[in-house]
Amino acid sequence: MLCLSGCAISGKHSTAKSVSVHLSEGDADLANVPEQKTNDPWQSLNRTTFGFNDRLNTYALRPVAHGYAAIVPNRVRTGVSNFFDNLNYPVRFINSVLQGKITRSAQETGKFVVNSTAGVGGLIRVSDHISSLADVPAEDFGQTLGVWGIAPGPYLVLPVLGPSDCRDLAGFAGDFAMSPLNWHTIGLIHYGFITRPLTIALSTTRSVNGLPKAVESYDQMKAEAVDPYVAMRNGYLSYRAEQVKK
Amino acid sequence: MALNPSRSTLKLAMMLLVVSAGRQSSAASVDDAGAVLRSSVEEILSIAYSGRGNETLAVRVRPALEKCFAFDIVTRQAMGPGWRQFSATEQKRATDLFSELMIRTYSARVVGTQRPKIVFGSPVATASDRCEIPTRVTTSTSNEPVAVVYRMIKLPAGWRIYDVLIEGVSFVANYRAQFDELIQKGGALAAIRTLEAKLAEPVPSHS
Repeated sequence: MLCLSGCAISGKHSTAKSVSVHLSEGDADLANVPEQKTNDPWQSLNRTTFGFNDRLNTYALRPVAHGYAAIVPNRVRTGVSNFFDNLNYPVRFINSVLQGKITRSAQETGKFVVNSTAGVGGLIRVSDHISSLADVPAEDFGQTLGVWGIAPGPYLVLPVLGPSDCRDLAGFAGDFAMSPLNWHTIGLIHYGFITRPLTIALSTTRSVNGLPKAVESYDQMKAEAVDPYVAMRNGYLSYRAEQVKK
Repeated sequence: MALNPSRSTLKLAMMLLVVSAGRQSSAASVDDAGAVLRSSVEEILSIAYSGRGNETLAVRVRPALEKCFAFDIVTRQAMGPGWRQFSATEQKRATDLFSELMIRTYSARVVGTQRPKIVFGSPVATASDRCEIPTRVTTSTSNEPVAVVYRMIKLPAGWRIYDVLIEGVSFVANYRAQFDELIQKGGALAAIRTLEAKLAEPVPSHS
């Protein structure tokens, strides 16, 4: 017989009064899963935005994703995805440095050199076949802020962009500035051949190319969840917490 | 120099032997968990990629999943503290429904055009009867390998899976967050009705 306070097991929703309970084998299982603390003070607004994004997915994004996947073979989509991933090298390199992960920043540089040359401009991820360069966790500015000790803040659902939190929203702005795709837009580079329509076309290609996978993941999550909003929120927060730890 | 070891040295040596034996036994035990997981995953993948019969994948992999998952423990943990409000009949019904949902979820995740490559890490003991086994899964559609951690528990019948973490997201903790609010508002009946409604939905097909 083991006596515990009811509060310890039922977490934030329990009353303050202490209740002695008999802890059976089943109850031990209940105590074994750590209670996730979620900071979601704007849940009502977030649920409304989630509903909007869900309809956007159903009526606009899913048809576009299915159409694109039907026209563009998987191998080509992977190549396009690899190209943009390679182009985003500065984001991962700068954030690795900002987090003090010097080895990782060197690995990112190695990946960029190998994939840009042997991988035909980044279309093929040759680095995956080099053990020291394969499987390098990608760093972003949201993670950098996390490593610096900044708390995630309240959970947010952004129109079109989906789940985020205050820290990742700031991180998104930082990564936007670090991405070469946006350097023309923010006035960092001025070359004649890089025009605004070209940067818009590249950004749109990247977004549309990523749609089939994103829509499939969302649909899968929704099919499995008993409350898709909570499933996405907790999944996102756990995933990001894990990425900060890596 | 004393040729005969003193009593305290003997005690220390015996303690070290006991600790060492305990560690070896624990290592052997979690190695068993690793072997169970490998053979279970191998069996499930063999079924999933052995050609399609008339039955759905969920139906075909069910016996293999029932052998390796501790469905009753997973359900209990996913329902969280609200589980105590369930009557015995409700507990049985919820376990059956949630097991069905897990089988559907797991089989939907293993399906793909090409058999995924799985690299198994060494089991790490987290308690005398529990361990975690890290794996890296590479599919034909994923650029990066996906980190999947299996949590296993030793039951009288052997090692069983009681949670799966995909890129740090715990299957059990995620469902627990969803059921927590549901059970607080509507009790066991709300959880059971929601599961029934979820299972009545058509299974989405992947292009």
